[in-house]
Amino acid sequence: MYDLIIIGGGPAGVGAGIYASRKRIKTLLLTDTFGGQSINSALIENFVGFEKISGFDFAQTLEKHLRTQDHIDVVTGALAQAIQKTPQGFVVTDQAGKTYETHTVLVTVGSSYRKLDVPGEAQFEGKGVFYCSICDAPLMKGKEAAVIGGGNSGLEAVIDLLPYATKIYVLNRSDVLKGDPVYQERIAKESKVQILMHTAPESFAGSQFLESIAWKNTQTGETGFLPVSGAFVEIGYIPNTSLVQDVVTLNERKQIVVDHKTQQTSCPGIWAAGDGTDALYHQINTAMGDGVKAVLNIYEYLNKVQ
Amino acid sequence: MITVYSTTFCPYCKMAKEYLTQKGVPFKDINVQEDDQAAADMIRKSGQMGVPVLDINNTIIVGFDRAAIDEALASDK
Repeated sequence: MYDLIIIGGGPAGVGAGIYASRKRIKTLLLTDTFGGQSINSALIENFVGFEKISGFDFAQTLEKHLRTQDHIDVVTGALAQAIQKTPQGFVVTDQAGKTYETHTVLVTVGSSYRKLDVPGEAQFEGKGVFYCSICDAPLMKGKEAAVIGGGNSGLEAVIDLLPYATKIYVLNRSDVLKGDPVYQERIAKESKVQILMHTAPESFAGSQFLESIAWKNTQTGETGFLPVSGAFVEIGYIPNTSLVQDVVTLNERKQIVVDHKTQQTSCPGIWAAGDGTDALYHQINTAMGDGVKAVLNIYEYLNKVQ
Repeated sequence: MITVYSTTFCPYCKMAKEYLTQKGVPFKDINVQEDDQAAADMIRKSGQMGVPVLDINNTIIVGFDRAAIDEALASDK
């Protein structure tokens, strides 16, 4: 029986794992892969201590550091499917049906990209509708493309597309781009980028592959079409919290409600950290800090009960 | 014959290639952003444009999917 099972191998989970090992807490970390959402980033420029690091290298750096720790078991390729309360603590079951017993759980499940849920989106997924710009932007060589969303992920997608697409439209729902000024300044110089404010996609159309996006101006009601071969959907994230929805309290956005001093959830014995929680800001740096806070609090808790 | 169609910075492509390497399975790595003909082949074979695409002896797998890779390799033996 473990003292702690950490679910997830993103910044929060790995930060927690390193601290847990050093505290000699008998710990298991269960994850599909390392790095979480950050692997989709071409270049991370705000992870403190690293001027620039690609998302993939960042994920490998996390894994490498975690694997130098002697007092933690790491199981990869494993997605947790269920958490059940038992008299001694909890049983965690992975997707292969394997079970693990533990006194406490730290949930660092992160989030996944949000879909638009408009007609044609599912039909053209991979056929012009994309969610990973670093992966699929090179397929837009010589083509016109659109980015849906003007936040950081959206503006990063524009930057990923710049070397390839001949024209890049940005469809932004409000009248202000939410992405960091550093990205806005970078794309403002590019004549092939056209930003459409108050504009939302209504549907995707084409034959085998995407050929156009129907859009609507959310202020004037005006409608139109953009002839594009690619649409990169970057409208934020939804927390991966279905695993714990029956065990801990979620807010209306399906985020895990935590005590921000300790990272405790509504269920005694379960803590949570990172993008899956109701933290006000979701950043790599803050997720790591929250994971560490959780483990320090779990350490105190285990010392009290044992 | 196993072929992996990928782009330079795609993390899931790297994961798929690492997974095959870990398993000791030889494969041909084709970068579709440097080879337009290969990109066209990949789109024709998979019916879509996203990467990675794995061709494991004519079984086409889109994305990094360990279970699908294991199944394709097993049925190949």
